Amino acid sequence: MTLRSPLLLAAAAFALITACTPGAGGGGGGGDGKSFEFWSFAAINQKSSVDAYREKHPDVDIKLTEVGTSTETAQALTTALAGGKVPDLVLIQGDNLPKFVQQPQNFVDLRTLGADDIKGDYLEWVIEQSVAEGGEVLGIPTDVGGMAVAYRTDLFAAAGLPTDRDEVGALWPTWDAFIETGKRYKQATGKAFTDNAATSVFYQAVNQVSQKYYDGDHELIYDSNPEVRTAFDLGIKAATAGITAGQSSFENAWSAGMGQGQYAAVAAPSWMLNSIRSNAPDTAGKWDIAKIPGAAGNWGGSYLAIPKRAQNPQAAWEYIKEMQSPQGQLEHFTRSGALPSTPSVYQDDKLATAKDTFFSDAPTGKIYTDSLLGLKPFYIGPDSATIGQEFLNSITNVEQSGGDPATAWDDAVRNIKTAIGG
Amino acid sequence: MNPVAVTLTPARPAAPPPLAPRSSRGLGERLSPYAYIAPFFVIFAIFGLFPFAFTFYVALFDWNPIGDQVFIGADNFTRMFADPRFWNAAGNTLSIWALSTVPQLLLALVLAHVLNHARLRFALFFRMSMLVPYVTSVAATAIVFAQLFDRDYGLLNWLLGLVGVEPVDFVQSTLGSHVLIATMVTWRWFGYTTLLYLASLQAVPRAVYEAASIDGAGPWQRFRHITVPSLRPVIIFTVVTSTIGGLQIFTEPLLIASGAPLTCGAVRQCQTLTLFLYEQGFGEFEFGYGSAIGVALFAMVVVIAAINYLLSTRIRAD
Repeated sequence: MTLRSPLLLAAAAFALITACTPGAGGGGGGGDGKSFEFWSFAAINQKSSVDAYREKHPDVDIKLTEVGTSTETAQALTTALAGGKVPDLVLIQGDNLPKFVQQPQNFVDLRTLGADDIKGDYLEWVIEQSVAEGGEVLGIPTDVGGMAVAYRTDLFAAAGLPTDRDEVGALWPTWDAFIETGKRYKQATGKAFTDNAATSVFYQAVNQVSQKYYDGDHELIYDSNPEVRTAFDLGIKAATAGITAGQSSFENAWSAGMGQGQYAAVAAPSWMLNSIRSNAPDTAGKWDIAKIPGAAGNWGGSYLAIPKRAQNPQAAWEYIKEMQSPQGQLEHFTRSGALPSTPSVYQDDKLATAKDTFFSDAPTGKIYTDSLLGLKPFYIGPDSATIGQEFLNSITNVEQSGGDPATAWDDAVRNIKTAIGG
Repeated sequence: MNPVAVTLTPARPAAPPPLAPRSSRGLGERLSPYAYIAPFFVIFAIFGLFPFAFTFYVALFDWNPIGDQVFIGADNFTRMFADPRFWNAAGNTLSIWALSTVPQLLLALVLAHVLNHARLRFALFFRMSMLVPYVTSVAATAIVFAQLFDRDYGLLNWLLGLVGVEPVDFVQSTLGSHVLIATMVTWRWFGYTTLLYLASLQAVPRAVYEAASIDGAGPWQRFRHITVPSLRPVIIFTVVTSTIGGLQIFTEPLLIASGAPLTCGAVRQCQTLTLFLYEQGFGEFEFGYGSAIGVALFAMVVVIAAINYLLSTRIRAD
């Protein structure tokens, strides 16, 4: 056996990124001023926007790299910021954003490029999340998630449930009613109703609150906020009701189960529709979309940012200005289905009357914009992602590993304290 | 069949050419040997020694790669010793090590004994095929095994289903995930260990076995009283190396839980120490804390290597 030491490997990788300390790359500028390098995550279809931009500006050379998942992209960005070659433009998922907003010195303050002129185009609570404490604007929002439930009309019909999207939405005004519907489905078919309790119930419910893990003064309240506790208890209730398939979101078996009708309903923010389409291509036309139980809410959405050491910040900014304008986002919606973060186009016919044939001609534009109406924005802090993950883990443990539902909350809170060190 | 030569003594070098008179040997000639070996040492210093030493330095900081680096002394270590996740990872590592090493070494012992049998046909074929799992990429092995052990579509659960056993969710249960990882480790290393044992066995004169047979010793007695004692040094060697290897199990747990790879499942049920290091260092970007875990791993490896040294000198003295 050799002593291939991951310790040494990790240390070597670490040395590589620390050896060339920040500053070595020089401050902005350089290049031909028109071309730029763009890091995005995979499966989000930024390529269609890039292609559209190329067509309009044939002299601009865009090097698009799809790094991996949103988390992997954020990790690669962190490594690059610590001392590697940075891209000129980078896409950051909302959950990963706060850690970067806390270190604004790593990014171009977009106000210096003219962000103040376009700031008003975006939903205020969305762009607010990319503003640092000193007022620096670090990112421009490309889309928001919105919330809905995607369900299989054929499986609902087989279980004797209604299939019309309005009647289905009426089945579950609340999450308790959603769980009850699940029990009816299970009784009729013997099969699982939804994929898992952690994401399809807890993660949705906890995004419909007025305050989440932090209060208005940015103090941690995750362990004392009754709204979080209620959402968590709903997750546990769903996990123990026997209505879930025990398939954690985005795992391989989850994707496979989607195509095989292992579960009939799944929580679906607008960006999830792409995922259903590619995971279960054979089920086209068998899906429909209904409104989410509970109140308005949002899950997901991403931002475009320009690292401080970018070689071509101006070219990247030109791209942002054009492609993330209300009209640019509307066009991106027609190509990919990602919901614009610019409310001025919500009434536009292209969005308001948009239908999706894969989902039985559901009016996706209207359903998702409706889910944002009356949304109460809450603060997302640097530890929000970690806290959410620990709550998810605790519910998954009850659902799939025989964890004790009675101690799940205390376990989660203890694990969070360990993870965030406080 | 002739045993493969097992000694690795290099051929005796030819007699050195007569030395030139001292006065004619310039500075360049005296330094040139160092120049020849320098590339290795320079690269080692950059990619091995420096990062290694730097890890100890970083371990004393709260080190945010894109923010501030604050000196905090031994705080990372106090935090680590009080961190249930660290002890959980240590326990998992120990459990996976035990579940993989014990069956692996026993299996290798038996296989080596069989492969050493005088009347075995196609012995070379069997001996070489032992190495196939070892040369297969770890990632490929992990992906195939994860599918075999899958809850819903796995071959193993299908077979269990045929005899009426409920499907087992290997990845989600603590013991199940440990068994799964241990199986992969065993699969990968048993051939290599078998060949090590076989090489040692072939140094045992055939005559000893024949004499034992004539004296009436059965197969079990020959195994117990000849094979095992003659393998003692190499058994200790493999126990030590597999322990060090076991401390570093990383790829297998990283790849089996596709939804939560860095923790190997929702409740860290199969997160090993190296995976915990990676999660903290490159998932959470707590470089200081990750380095502290690396230092702790290093200390464990040093202790085990020291035990190896003591045992092997003792055996040589016997």
